[in-house]
This record gives sequence, structure tokens and C-alpha cells, in this order.
Amino acid sequence: MLEKTGIPTSDDLKAIKPDKERLKKGPVALIECFRKIPCDPCFYSCPFDAIDEFKDINDIPNLDYETCTGCGNCIASCPGLAIFVVDYNKNTLSLPYEFLPVPEKGDLVWGLNRAGKKVKKAEVVRVKDPAKNDKTAVVTIKLPKEYLMEVRNIEVGELNG
Amino acid sequence: MINTDILVIGGGPAGMTAAIKASESGAQVIIIERYHELGGQLIKQTHRFFGSKKEQAGIRGISIAQELTEKIENHSNIRVMTEATAEGYYEDEVVTISHENKFKKIKAKKVIIATGASENMLAFENNDLPGVYGAGAVQTLMNLYGILPGEKVIMVGAGNIGLIVSYQLLQAGVDVEAVIEAAPKIGGYLVHASKIRRAGVPIYTSHSIKKAIGENSVQGAEVVELNDNWEMKVGTEKVIEADIICLAVGLNPLSDLLIQAECEVVYTPELGGDVPIRDENLKTTKDHIFVAGDVAGIEEATAAMLEGEIAGLKAVSEIGYSNENIFEELNRLKTELNKLRSGPVGKVIKNGIEKVRRGNYVGKNRYSHLR
Amino acid sequence: MDDNTIVCRCEDITLKELRDLIKEGYTTLDEIKRALRLGMGPCQGNICLDIAAREICKMTDKTMEEIKMPRKRPPVLGIKMGELAGDQDEK
Ligand SMILES: Cc1cc2nc3c(=O)[nH]c(=O)nc-3n(C[C@H](O)[C@H](O)[C@H](O)COP(=O)(O)OP(=O)(O)OC[C@H]3O[C@@H](n4cnc5c(N)ncnc54)[C@H](O)[C@@H]3O)c2cc1C
Ligand code: SF4
Ligand code: SF4
Repeated sequence: MLEKTGIPTSDDLKAIKPDKERLKKGPVALIECFRKIPCDPCFYSCPFDAIDEFKDINDIPNLDYETCTGCGNCIASCPGLAIFVVDYNKNTLSLPYEFLPVPEKGDLVWGLNRAGKKVKKAEVVRVKDPAKNDKTAVVTIKLPKEYLMEVRNIEVGELNG
Repeated sequence: MINTDILVIGGGPAGMTAAIKASESGAQVIIIERYHELGGQLIKQTHRFFGSKKEQAGIRGISIAQELTEKIENHSNIRVMTEATAEGYYEDEVVTISHENKFKKIKAKKVIIATGASENMLAFENNDLPGVYGAGAVQTLMNLYGILPGEKVIMVGAGNIGLIVSYQLLQAGVDVEAVIEAAPKIGGYLVHASKIRRAGVPIYTSHSIKKAIGENSVQGAEVVELNDNWEMKVGTEKVIEADIICLAVGLNPLSDLLIQAECEVVYTPELGGDVPIRDENLKTTKDHIFVAGDVAGIEEATAAMLEGEIAGLKAVSEIGYSNENIFEELNRLKTELNKLRSGPVGKVIKNGIEKVRRGNYVGKNRYSHLR
Repeated sequence: MDDNTIVCRCEDITLKELRDLIKEGYTTLDEIKRALRLGMGPCQGNICLDIAAREICKMTDKTMEEIKMPRKRPPVLGIKMGELAGDQDEK
């Protein structure tokens, strides 16, 4: 259970999955923020207003998958590091990363699942670490489709010798 | 004796916003802080703050502290005294302070107390072994002095502080072997829990620390499962190796000055300990004393800043530095605060505040027998 | 076991000492403070008094609300005598 282990269950995850049609259309954000907390920076970060305005700051963010372009602007804004972007056409996953060293394009990293277990090696295809993100890098890795919903963190270092 | 309109005690987010608001109408303000710089808890927070975007959430605690400090420096009618500790509260709003090793007195028309909180300790066997630290001490070492406290840590407490400090330790390259939590559920925000969980840190709820292991310093800890009545389950003991045991088992409002000043305080578990009775403008039972932030109840920086603004505004308005929009502004701030507290986390806080509302409070002052 | 559990770091007081005293009938913080110097070290009781209060609750049928807290005297934090001597006027 999420409350006991910190790992969202498949029930929790049901709440966020855009349908197959939407996934085919291109990149889309997945917000893994499942419980009410007084927090709202994600709403302000979206240039396309895809995240509904919070009526109450404690609301769970509600993302309109049709409006979302998968631009990834929201990823680094979230203090919970709870936002990811998947692209089922390019088979990529973008995630927030706040550890050093920040990997570079072309590096091989471990893809970790929600429990921190190494599940798949992956290649880094893009790293965005602009000053405006204030040290939260957004790392994009390439993964087989079946891992796009499983990998949620990376381990850098080991695989590059 | 130093005279001033407003004295703010404590230079954390609550005290800083109180000083800024109070000074904007032209009043003379002194803010004293016992540390050598302003910022309070914020200067140790390298993580992005959750909370309301309007109150700076999404940016790092340390950056919020810098912004507020710059604002304060731009107000010429705020005098900042660092390395200045309020030692005692005497009659007629005279506060004695020790400033840069000298003893001084300040007399103010209104005093805003924003002293924050102190960390709780936990009683377990061998808890005096070197290597047992409070989370605050670990943060100070790591984030202010750049010193790694050790190599492997066991974190006790899965509230927000335990979760966030675990994350900061991971970022510093320290292994977090486990997070131990006595309650059956993680107390902190689950996004923070998931963040460290997917970095490979196990979180053991319904577990407690039985003893620290080691001869001259910590080498590990014996942890044990708890049953539904929070009793240790015999036979479930296991040893986790580590050279640091970090305690993040809650905060206690630093209400000493309020108690000295004989403001009514009531023990209120929802708010973390003995907290002052106050009205919605954060005025205590003493006409000249306001409070704001964690000393009024353990909460968050966003709430602390809003409370600071309310207290600052109201305090100056009572000594004649009113601006015409004050009612609107106070109402806006109170509405913001109310919105912030409308979720499940805020509900507990609200219940607590209801108990200590001036005029209709329940509960006992644990210090009243002294008068 | 309790004799390795410290409740007051300033004065090195163990949980066993505290529990023995409560068993003997010292059930107020004021009495305990006098007997053990609990809370009279540099931290002025900010840490240990809370633990002691909880022990009293566990061993008697008091609740935390009913515990009578000892007096908080200025100075709030330990102050050096030299500082006390240095009062001066300032504008
Ligand atoms: C690890 C950690 C992570 C956190 N993360 C978040 C977060 O993400 N979002 C969020 O909103 N909140 C967060 N918080 C909570 C937030 O930091 C506090 O709620 C907030 O700092 C409270 O502000 P304050 O001004 O009341 O107290 P403090 O920040 O504690 O400031 C009080 C100040 O008063 C000074 N002081 C005390 N006594 C005296 C005296 N006698 N004389 C002079 N000065 C004195 C202290 O030195 C201190 O600087 C976190 C806290 C911690 C510990
Ligand atoms: S990915 Fe872009 S469009 Fe989609 S929610 Fe995030 S910021 Fe908005
Ligand atoms: S910013 Fe992140 S943690 Fe905050 S509400 Fe949005 S998704 Fe949740």
C-alpha cells in the first residue's frame, strides 16, 4: 500500500493512465501525485493550461491528456518529482533528476522501478539542465515500450565504467 | 535601552515576513536572530518547497531565504540584529537580548514572537552513542558546512522532515539504509516517500528502534516491528548496519518566551506542544504580543509566511501605522491561509487552532500553577 | 536496559533513574527536576522535560495536558556571566 511503503499500487496508477489512443498520438505527461496535499506549482508551470486550475490548493492535479503536448515543462516544477513524460512513438521516458553527476547524452544508465530496483538498461537521449530549472535536470532515456510505465528513476555511473 | 515600534524575535520565514509587512507602513522595526544570518529553517532546505506557488513554492528553501533577506535589506527602517538571542521577557515589553556577546535591552510597542521550534528526542538504549543525531544537526553539517555526517544512515521518522532529509542525504552520496516509522502509515507527503523509495530506500512502517549498537560509536541499530497497540513484537528484532542514526521524530514549539511573558499557552498535540492562545490576527492573550510560524503550531513555511504577514500588519495598525487597505489585505491573507488548510493535512491543524482560539479555548495551561 | 537510555544529555540522566524516581512517588516534573537536575543543563529542559512528562503519563494515569510544567526562567538559553555584565545604553 502506498501509505505503508511509498510505492503506488496498480490501483493508484489506474487513476493516471491516458488511453491507448492518446498514447499513440505522441508524448504526454503522467502525474503520479495521488493524495491531497497543499501544493500547486505544476498548475502554474504548464504553458498550455493542460492542468486544471486548482479550486482548492489541496486538490489532486487533474491533467487533460488531450490538451497536454508532452512538452515536459512541468517536470522540473514539481517539488514532489512526481511528473514524468512518456512518448510511445519514440519509446522515451523523461524524468526529473537531482543527483550528481548529471548523465550526458549517449550514456548508459540503469532504469529503476518504483521500488528502486534495477529493471532495464537504458540509453540517455537528451538532458535538459537549464539554469531556469535550478538544478533539477530533465533526463530523457530510451526504453522498450513495456518498460515505459515501469521505470521511474535512473542510476548513473556504474554502466559507463 | 534600545527603543523601537516593533520587535520581531526570530529570523525565520515567519519573522522575516512579519518584519517586512510591519515596515512597509513606515514603522521602525528590529528583527533579532540568534544565528549569524536570517532564514531560520529555510537556509538548510536545499529542496524545492511544496506549498502555494503564490507563497514561493516550487523554488528551493534557501532561495526563498535569500529573497526575503534582500527585501529586508532594502527596507531602511528594519534593523537586523544577528547573533542576537532573546533571553528573557520582562514587564512593559522589555526584552533582554544577548547580542554579539553583549547584554542589551530592547523596549518595543509591539512584539512579534516567531522563534520556531526545537527538535524532539527519542529515548532508546544507547542513544548517547556518538553517531546518534537529530535531523536538524545532520542538515546543518551537510547543507551549511558541507560535511558528510557518515556513510550509512538509519532514519527514524517518516514525516516530511525524515523523508526530505533522507533525500538530501542521498543527494550528498550517503546511503540511507532504511526509514523506520512507528506509526502504521507514512506521515509525510507520499510524493516525498515515493521519491526516496524509487531511489531504493526501504520504508518500514509499524517499526521502532529498540537500541543503538556499537562500542564507541554507532555501528547499527536493532529495529523491531510494532503491533496494532504500538507494542514491540517479540522475535521480530533485526539488525541494520549503519554509522549514523538520524532522529526526525517531530518538533516542539519554542514557546519559552511566551510562557515567561505569561501569555496563555495550552498543550495541543495537533500543533506539536504548548502553543499560545491567539485570535485570528495572531494576537496572544497579551495585548502587545503577537506570534507567527512554528512557535504558534508546527506547520509549514507557506503558513508561517502568511501568519507573519498577518501579525506584522495587525501589529503596526494598532500603533497607528495603518494603511487604508488593511482590512482587505488582512482578509486576503486569512483567506489564503484558510485555503491552504482546507485539505486533510490542514484539517488537523485547523482542529488544533480551533482549540486555542482566543475567547473560546479548551484545554489547560500547564504553567498556570506557577503564577 | 533502561540504564543505557539517556533522557537528558546535559546532565547524563538515564531512563532507569527517571523511572525509579517515578516509582518512588516523585510524579511531578518539579520534584524530578530537583532530585535529578533534569532540565537544568544548557538546553534548559527543551528536550528532556518532554520525555520525562511522557514517562510520568505512562507510569501514572495522567495525561500530557495534566502535567504541571516547571517554571521557565530567563535566560531562555544558557547565558554567560560576562554577557550579563555588559549591559549598556544604545540609541
Ligand atoms: C527538513 C525540513 C524540510 C521542510 N520542508 C518544507 C517544505 O518543503 N515546505 C514548507 O512549506 N515547509 C517546509 N518545512 C517547514 C518550514 O521550514 C518551517 O515550517 C518554517 O521554517 C517555520 O518558520 P518559522 O519562521 O516559524 O521558524 P524557523 O524557520 O524555525 O525560524 C525561527 C528562527 O528563530 C530563531 N530563534 C529562536 N529562538 C530565538 C531567540 N530566543 N532569540 C532569537 N532568535 C531565536 C531561530 O534561530 C530561527 O532562525 C521544512 C522543515 C524542515 C525541518
Ligand atoms: S507536459 Fe507540457 S503540456 Fe503537458 S502538462 Fe506538462 S507542461 Fe503542460
Ligand atoms: S507540483 Fe507536484 S507534488 Fe505539487 S500538486 Fe503538482 S504534481 Fe503534486
